[in-house]
Amino acid sequence: MNPAILTDITKCIGCRECVAACKVVNDTQADSPRRWSLDDGLSSDNWTSIVEREGEFVRKQCRHCLEPACVSACPVAALHVTEIGTVVYDSDKCLGCRYCMMACAYGIPRYDWDKAVPYVRKCILCHDRLMDGQQPACTEVCPTQATIFGNRDELIAEAKKRIAADPDKYDNHVWGEHEVGGTRILYLVPKNFDLSFMTYGQKLGEKALPQVTAPAMHAVPFAFLGMGGLMAGVHWIVKRRIELSKTDQDASKEEGGEHEQGA
Amino acid sequence: MEAWLEFGRGPLFRFCLVILILGLLRSVVLSLYGMNEALRRAGDKIVPWSDLTNKTFQWLIPVTRLFRKRPVYSAISFIWHIGVILVPLFLSAHVLLLFANGIGIHWWPEFPQRIADLMTLITVIMGILLFLGRVSSRESRFLSRFQDYAWVPLITLTFLTGGLCANLNLSAGSYQFSMLLHVYSADLILMLIPFTKVAHCVLLPMSQYISGVAWKFPKNAGDRVAETIGKEGMPV
Amino acid sequence: MNRVRNLKLVLWMLAGFGFAVGLTRFFFGLGATTNLGDGVPWGLWIGFDVMSGVALAGGGFVMTAIVYIFGREEYHPIVRPAVLTAFLGYVAVIFGLLFDLGLPWNIWHMIVFWNPHSPLFEVGWCVMLYTTVLLLEFSPVPMESSSAWAKIRATLIKIRIPLVITGIALSTLHQSSLGTLFMIMPYRVPVLWYSPILPILFFISAIGLGMLMVTFESHFTSYFYRRKPEIHLLKNLAGWSRWVLLLYLSVRIGDLAVRGQLDALTAQGWRTVWFWVEIVMMVGAPLVFFSVPKLRISRTGQWTGATLGVSGIVLNRINVGGFVHLDRGAGIYLPSFAELAITLAVVATLALIFLFFLERFHVWEERPVDPNAKPEALPEFDYASMVSLGAPSVASRYTRSLAFILAAALGFALLSDDVLTSKGFESNPVRAARGGDTLWVDGNRDNYGVAFPHSQHVKFVEEILTPGIEITDRENGGVSFASETEVPQYHDKAAICSQCHHMNLPGDQASGCYECHSDMYNISDSFGHDWHSETAGAGLSCFTCHQTGMAKNAESAKQCNECHDDLVPAYAAIEVEQYLAPGYTDAMHGMCQNCHKIHAEEVEKADLGRCTTCHTGQTREVIKRDQLNRWSNVPNNDITTFSSVR
Repeated sequence: MNPAILTDITKCIGCRECVAACKVVNDTQADSPRRWSLDDGLSSDNWTSIVEREGEFVRKQCRHCLEPACVSACPVAALHVTEIGTVVYDSDKCLGCRYCMMACAYGIPRYDWDKAVPYVRKCILCHDRLMDGQQPACTEVCPTQATIFGNRDELIAEAKKRIAADPDKYDNHVWGEHEVGGTRILYLVPKNFDLSFMTYGQKLGEKALPQVTAPAMHAVPFAFLGMGGLMAGVHWIVKRRIELSKTDQDASKEEGGEHEQGA
Repeated sequence: MEAWLEFGRGPLFRFCLVILILGLLRSVVLSLYGMNEALRRAGDKIVPWSDLTNKTFQWLIPVTRLFRKRPVYSAISFIWHIGVILVPLFLSAHVLLLFANGIGIHWWPEFPQRIADLMTLITVIMGILLFLGRVSSRESRFLSRFQDYAWVPLITLTFLTGGLCANLNLSAGSYQFSMLLHVYSADLILMLIPFTKVAHCVLLPMSQYISGVAWKFPKNAGDRVAETIGKEGMPV
Repeated sequence: MNRVRNLKLVLWMLAGFGFAVGLTRFFFGLGATTNLGDGVPWGLWIGFDVMSGVALAGGGFVMTAIVYIFGREEYHPIVRPAVLTAFLGYVAVIFGLLFDLGLPWNIWHMIVFWNPHSPLFEVGWCVMLYTTVLLLEFSPVPMESSSAWAKIRATLIKIRIPLVITGIALSTLHQSSLGTLFMIMPYRVPVLWYSPILPILFFISAIGLGMLMVTFESHFTSYFYRRKPEIHLLKNLAGWSRWVLLLYLSVRIGDLAVRGQLDALTAQGWRTVWFWVEIVMMVGAPLVFFSVPKLRISRTGQWTGATLGVSGIVLNRINVGGFVHLDRGAGIYLPSFAELAITLAVVATLALIFLFFLERFHVWEERPVDPNAKPEALPEFDYASMVSLGAPSVASRYTRSLAFILAAALGFALLSDDVLTSKGFESNPVRAARGGDTLWVDGNRDNYGVAFPHSQHVKFVEEILTPGIEITDRENGGVSFASETEVPQYHDKAAICSQCHHMNLPGDQASGCYECHSDMYNISDSFGHDWHSETAGAGLSCFTCHQTGMAKNAESAKQCNECHDDLVPAYAAIEVEQYLAPGYTDAMHGMCQNCHKIHAEEVEKADLGRCTTCHTGQTREVIKRDQLNRWSNVPNNDITTFSSVR
């Protein structure tokens, strides 16, 4: 299984059926604007949302990266990639450091700020439904087929077909095919539509974020042993020198003594 | 007036409540610490636990020696204590406004209003009698400090104004004024408790501890003193 | 004047203040007490307590390296305070983290559940291991005072060199891994602070900071205990730190050059200015103060240079830790009162422990005695001779605990009622619907409203729901109730209008929805207690409404319609709660959707289940052209004919 969702921004009419379905399936609470919420509609109770920009409707949700930054960031492996490729969260392991929220290039994970026992919340691509052979709730209810579920490779092919069929309508780029190593949520973007509001105003590169920290993490044992060895070596040399100078002194003293004796 | 009331019931109340709780805790810890230090300096290791509990309970239970000396005064004092402790804790208005709304405790039991009113009335009367008792006896006057005179009227005032607020048919026009008096005198009481004699609510065992340790000599104390000053076996 | 005693009093007060605020953080959660949010998941606690705490502890590994590895025994006098500072710095990190973590009781999970790819995992392990190492490194000092520990102490001293080497290696990892933490955020951290060699930058600056911190700490405590700092040693340290920081600067600029980002140094914007402020404090100040020989050997020079340098590096850690990417979130993050109070309390507590060790044990060569101190400030127990020196500490014990509880009480008192009750709801005031006959219902003015054809609805109610009752002055638009005399058939009109206008303001016959449902999403107060009780308002006595002899709450109060008999019309289609009104969106959705569902067979838009059925998401001009909304006639002024004169 290689699950993915293709969202065609040009087809979305902004009905928010996906948002409603998501809330029902995941049994999240009613939502109202809180001091700590961002204005994109996502919150610990809204795992997907529709953002309206320049007359287009863009659905926000967890991108389920192929190599997720949040998963590599989580110190206790509470966030992890399942065998079918969804990125899910184990609340029993979480210790609440919120590094995942900092690490996500899309700023997706949200927190239960109002609770005394808070957890991280985000879309889990309806993992349980996928395991039961169903498709995610959001794609199932979409009335215009703007967001569809399927095999990632097939969806990329489908997206490219649509672009080829109507090159004036679409940007010639499947957003999410290569971004930060590729994501399972793909977007077909209208021509000249600026998506930077989804990514802190930045243009994403193709390198997966875990690969950025990997060199530093690989260097850890070498740094530890290297610095340890260096210090041990320096210590040995310094000690030896001090001993030598001491024996030199002693020797010169003794020599002096002998000399005196001799004299 | 409203603003002053809100201040007295909000920030000032929180301030006084924390002073009360932490202040009493501080008194206990400091007196324990002091006692231990005194014991250590004295080189004494025996803590008279049984004596301590016995004495504490003797003072808590009214039928003791004291009753034989001034039975009426003791009885008044005992009833007064019951009212002073129970009414503020279980009055329905307090339970609702302070515990449920203010702190979020919803399971707190409460008295019916009528019983609370009755107890308030009794407490006020007992308070007046207590004050008269203290003023009328020469020995009491001789022993009394300012705070001994001030406490009973202060508490009685709080009860009186509280009772008036709960029963407006008694004094319709003065609600806000009596509420203001009630709230601020109650805040004052909370704040003063840890620093005055009313701290005996937690320090009673401590005072027994002090007198137990200070006035009870270990059995072989004399020998050990002799040992320490190096005059063993010598006639004292 | 007694510096130490005043300092301790202040520290105890800060600790007490934070104690109160810290308790509320655990009972009411992070949202109620901090200004953190989905856009700013890490704030002051990570930036200062954790990132800077670790950096400030850098003195420990630098000094142990100088003395034990490079064999410069002459620096031994400042090793002990440096190791103690480092140890307490790490304790502060753990302490601060307990407040910041959402689930602090799960902090041990890092030992059991491993994710070796995570920089934070590395950080966590380094903190645990290095704190242990520091504890072992320092514990010989307190063990001196008792012969019972002699054996363990001897063992610890025997393994000192391996311990020191492990400590240095762990510090290398840890100081650098704090930089690694932010490598995963190339899109979040701005270019002047982001670098693929952040770990190296962090490590180099930590060495420089370690030296500066030792200088700072020595001057700080010397001031309070009126002793002479080890200027002859510190001047060398200060000199070396200069070169380390210069190396740091060149690596940092060089890295920018290699990546071709040099023009960011002169780019417009507050970040560039901020970058240069940071560099001037962090590198410039030590460079200037420690290069002029006169300043370098003077107390003031050393102190100022070290303070500026230390603040500069703390600023750098706070910047990387979040400050410069604040606008990646939403709005401006400023630490809340609670965050500041807790941070100060953590620092104060650790400072108190530091002073405790300083006074009890041989952290310095000599035991600190304040020459100006009154006799009662002398150590009250001489551990050397095991002789008690009387009751001096009693006085300080009493005043300090008093300061603590007074500050704690003040902390609780100053917590706003908001913290104790608020769930962080934002208020979104609702504004009136605009328009003539066709109303543009857009309470929060986001142009995502609904066009509401009023006359169509009146017609529907009139013909279908209340047949036989007719509004007589239809010519006037059917909606303007200027005065009652002009409305002969008030009763009939009430029958029709009150189907939807289910509750009106006193004296009004068709109040606008927004007048009671005054918040977009939250439940709002439709009663106005303050107005009723204030002398400037109705000036009613409490017992006009509340029963005497009962707690004054909603239950003991009269219902609104006991005084205002015209509030709830007879034909209202909706039962109303008298004091609370649901949020505007809930009210509108409930009303429209329910009614349309009930009368599904008779109305045009039966199914309002889809948002876009009503929310066209278009501006008013578009509606005019829209065929479906042919009744639209939205004027540009805000006439609210619906809510009549109040």
